[in-house]
Amino acid sequence: MNIRRSRRRKPLVPINSMSDIAFLLLIFIMLISLINYRQEIKIDYPEGEYQEVTQADKNLEIWVDQGGRIFYDGAQVTLTYLEGVIAEAAAENPAVRIHILGDKNTAFKNVNGILETLKLLNHRAVSLVVKEPSN
Amino acid sequence: MRITTKRRNRIDIAESGALSDLAFLLIIFFIIIAVFNVNTGFILGLPRKNSSKIVNVEDIIKARLGPEGTVFIEDEPVSQELLEKAVVERLKLRPNMTFLLTIHPETPYQYVVDIVNLVRKDEVENFSFRMEEFRK
Repeated sequence: MNIRRSRRRKPLVPINSMSDIAFLLLIFIMLISLINYRQEIKIDYPEGEYQEVTQADKNLEIWVDQGGRIFYDGAQVTLTYLEGVIAEAAAENPAVRIHILGDKNTAFKNVNGILETLKLLNHRAVSLVVKEPSN
Repeated sequence: MRITTKRRNRIDIAESGALSDLAFLLIIFFIIIAVFNVNTGFILGLPRKNSSKIVNVEDIIKARLGPEGTVFIEDEPVSQELLEKAVVERLKLRPNMTFLLTIHPETPYQYVVDIVNLVRKDEVENFSFRMEEFRK
């Protein structure tokens, strides 16, 4: 009697499912990017060499353009309005990190106004955002 | 004579692997975009409004930052290099040194950042700054 040996199939890696995984990852990362989306204001960033990462879990960004106009969440605001925003954010999460993104050519008095507001609200830590020198 | 038509093999786009390549390229793009959002800079501890701290007068080094970015120590203009030298020397003598900076309201913000950068470089722990009162 002839005994037929069953042939073993060669192992295969199913690459069809790779695109499914890739697209799931893509959707996930796109969503994360959308959560991180921020309203940028056109400024020339000040430059500094000895910077550190100042990003925290919860962040609040205040932008100051060259003309001294203050922006929060993409809209121009007054210092009084900003005071309310900071107070509300701090009440919600006391560990909120305030970032000041000032134009390098703006007068210091414009940034100082925000610092004085923070002092008034007893907010202790502030991040002055800078970029690495270009050359 | 019978003419047989040649059947073309259908190309399955998902099987070709091009789709997954494209998706992974997009993933890399979004990861890079997400990384761009990280803020870097200097974290400063602010004092309470109208709060005061007792400091030994001999530990203080006072400087003034003018509207053109010139630094003055005891009304004498000094370069960034000289300022750094003065700070480092004072730090060696007095480790509890406090650097007090008075800034002109019209000074461009970059010059203030330059001083903060210098303070960070030389590891000055006690750094205090305030805006100069408006002069008529």
